[in-house]
Parts: sequence; structure tokens; C-alpha cells
Amino acid sequence: MHPAPVDRLIAELGKLPGIGRRTAQRLAFHILRSSDEDAFALATAIREVKERIGLCETCFNLAEGPTCAICSDPRRSRELICVVEEPQDVIPIERTGEYRGLYHVLGGALSPIDGIDPDDLRIDELVRRVEAGEIEEVVIATNPTTTGEATAHHIGERLRDRVTLTRLASGLPVGADLEHADEVTLGRALTGRRSV
Amino acid sequence: MPGSFKTEGVVLRSIRYGEADRILHLYTAERGRVNAIAKGSRRPRSRFGGRLEPFFRLDLMLHEGRSELCTVTGAATVDGYPALRADGDAIDAAARGCDAVLRLLDSAEPNRAAYGLLCRYLALLDRGAGADGADAAGADRHAVGLAFRLKLLLASGFAPELGSCARCGEREGIVSFSGAAGGVVCGSCEASGFPVSAEAHRFMAAAIGGPIAELPPVSEPARRQVDRAIGDTLAHHAHVNLRAVA
Repeated sequence: MHPAPVDRLIAELGKLPGIGRRTAQRLAFHILRSSDEDAFALATAIREVKERIGLCETCFNLAEGPTCAICSDPRRSRELICVVEEPQDVIPIERTGEYRGLYHVLGGALSPIDGIDPDDLRIDELVRRVEAGEIEEVVIATNPTTTGEATAHHIGERLRDRVTLTRLASGLPVGADLEHADEVTLGRALTGRRSV
Repeated sequence: MPGSFKTEGVVLRSIRYGEADRILHLYTAERGRVNAIAKGSRRPRSRFGGRLEPFFRLDLMLHEGRSELCTVTGAATVDGYPALRADGDAIDAAARGCDAVLRLLDSAEPNRAAYGLLCRYLALLDRGAGADGADAAGADRHAVGLAFRLKLLLASGFAPELGSCARCGEREGIVSFSGAAGGVVCGSCEASGFPVSAEAHRFMAAAIGGPIAELPPVSEPARRQVDRAIGDTLAHHAHVNLRAVA
């Protein structure tokens, strides 16, 4: 229906997560209407990110070069590792301003239903980092989901007695209503209650 | 017919979708397998809280529109199985059990027996969680998982013939199991099967005929035979391949 390059653009945009054919079409026409400068900036940004961004050799976070900005920062505490599922999980932890250690990105979470086993994650690499000797505490910050909990248990088994292991606390989100809390979350909030 | 309906159900699988939604695979008491979308459920302040995670047993309010997916409009916890969630091996066993239900029972027809079985299995794993591989009654969790699958075969109409030879009806001299024949086979008909011990045969009969919490002890070789018997039966008759029980 459209000239072939437009159809190709719609098809490529339609491959993005959460983008259906109609949205892809709307985005394609937006790109067609936008200035050459804006459209080429988008194309360059996509090319650049694919050419220059890889994974950190140490922690598997996104990196421009062999080591990510966090691993190369001499001000970060080298005794502390925070284990997360995906690179995007690093951002919210950094935003808190409460954490000054290093990270380890697993690349997913254990899920027997989806066939994701320990060998599919970077757990061996984490164990090797701990065995290297500098690490004193591993903070397990996998998602508080069933797969995230299963992963946390597995890591706990692998690293038990080798290092101090901690897990992010579970509880009620700030500003939430108690009446909407589910029983498991509220139960954990009660277990982890603190004196005021 | 479009509209809202209430049903009790268990979350078998939860898949992240879009920015903050989840797609849920549910097994419900009234409608069998139902797929639904829970909009905004991954936001920390979602009114669903964490109760749309796998293995939660819920009272659900669902809206059925023109889409293939229902929309979750309400969810109250019947049982969250909190102890199960604190035990890695129990989570793994529950996930494999839910996977078996997902693969074997994919129709929208209600199956009360299968639904009740799934709830009892999760409750059993929850009671035995943290007990180092044993369930509440001390039975091996692996054996309980096999018994669950055998009962699931019964509930879904694929129970193997265990009383007599599935080919000739002979009651004595049972030596093999044949997935193609659909049960145990005698020495004269054994060509199509694999050897099955008296212990494995007894375990299968006890698991199908008795309560899941009162299983006889079973050795590792017999367990492997039972696992293979279940796998062969399903592969031949339901065209389903299950993941190993452990």
C-alpha cells in the first residue's frame, strides 16, 4: 500500500515490544513528518548503541568498552555486590543514592516453566567473583516475584558460608493503602517490622 | 458471552507485558483454563498487590470482552501459600506442577477434580516447605510430585491401565509398562514396553488409588520408571511432553 521503504520502516517498528501494526504506522508517519535532523539523529542513536554498547566484563552491566562506569569508578565500595536480574534494574537502585557498592547482572531469573536453568544465568561468574576474595557482602536484589525468589534461594545455596548474604526487604510501598496489600507482602512487612 | 464473571482460580504462570501489565495463565474452578490481562498490576501501588504471582489461589472477578484475553477487575486471596514461597525446592516443585497443568489441561472446560488436586498439591508443598525435601507427612517431595502427575492423568482421562495387562487383560506376570498400550503389560506382550519393577507398579497403583499424603516409600530406580511411564503415556495419548518431575 505504501512505498516499500515506508512499509519496511513500519515492519521494523512493529517488531518493538508493545508496538502493534497501527502504532508502528503512526510512528513511521511521525518520522516521515519530522525534520531530517531529528530522523537522522534517531537512526544514528540506534546505530551508535548497537556499535558501541556491550556488556561489562566484570559485572555484565551495560558498558561502553570492556568495563562499565560503575566498575571503573574508584570511589565505589569493592566489598559489596548487589545482584540484579537485568541491566535496567541497576538504574532504580542507583537513583536511591543509598548504595555505593558494585553490581552483578544475572541476565534473567530462574524459571522451570520457561526452561531457564542456573546454567542460563551468570551465577557461576558471581561465585567466581566471590571466590576471588575481596567481596564481604552480597545483596540479592532480584525481583520479589516467584522467579526472583527462586533465583535468590539458589544463589543463597551456592554462596552460603562463603560471604555475608542479604536480601532486599519486602513490605508495603510508601503511599499505598493497607487494605489493598496482599497477605504475603503484609506478612513479610510484619515479619520485618522495626522499632520506632 | 461478553460480561463479568466470578470464579476461583490458581495462577499458573505470570508473564510481564507492556510497561506495567501482566498476562496470566489461570486454572479456574468454573471455566478451566482462562488467560487474562491484569492492567497496571506491576506498579508498586497496584490494588492487586503481589497476589497475581504464580501459585496464588484467588477469588477472581474477570471481564470477558471481545478480545481472547479476559481482564482481571478484582482479586482476593484464598491462599497465598507463603511458606512454599520461602523454599526454593518447593517453588521449583510447584512450578513443575503448574507447568504440567498448563500443558495437559488447555481447554476452557471446567474440571473440578483437577482444580481440587492442584490446590491440594500446592497446600501440601506449603505445609512441607522448609522440611528438607520432604512434605508435611514426611513423604519425599519427588514422590509426591509423581503422585500428583499420576492423579492429574486420572483427572484428565489419561490414567494408565494398572490392574491387568493393557494388551491381553492378563492379571499375573506384569513385567513392563507400555505407553503405546496405555498401561502395564505382561511377559507375553512386553515387546512394546520397558521393564517396570513390582515396587514401581505398586507405587503407581497407590498414588492413583489413595490419598496423595499417604504414599508408600519408593526407591530412586522405581521413581525413574514411574516418571518414564507418565511421560510415555502422555507422549502417546495426549501428545504432550512434560518437563522432568525434578
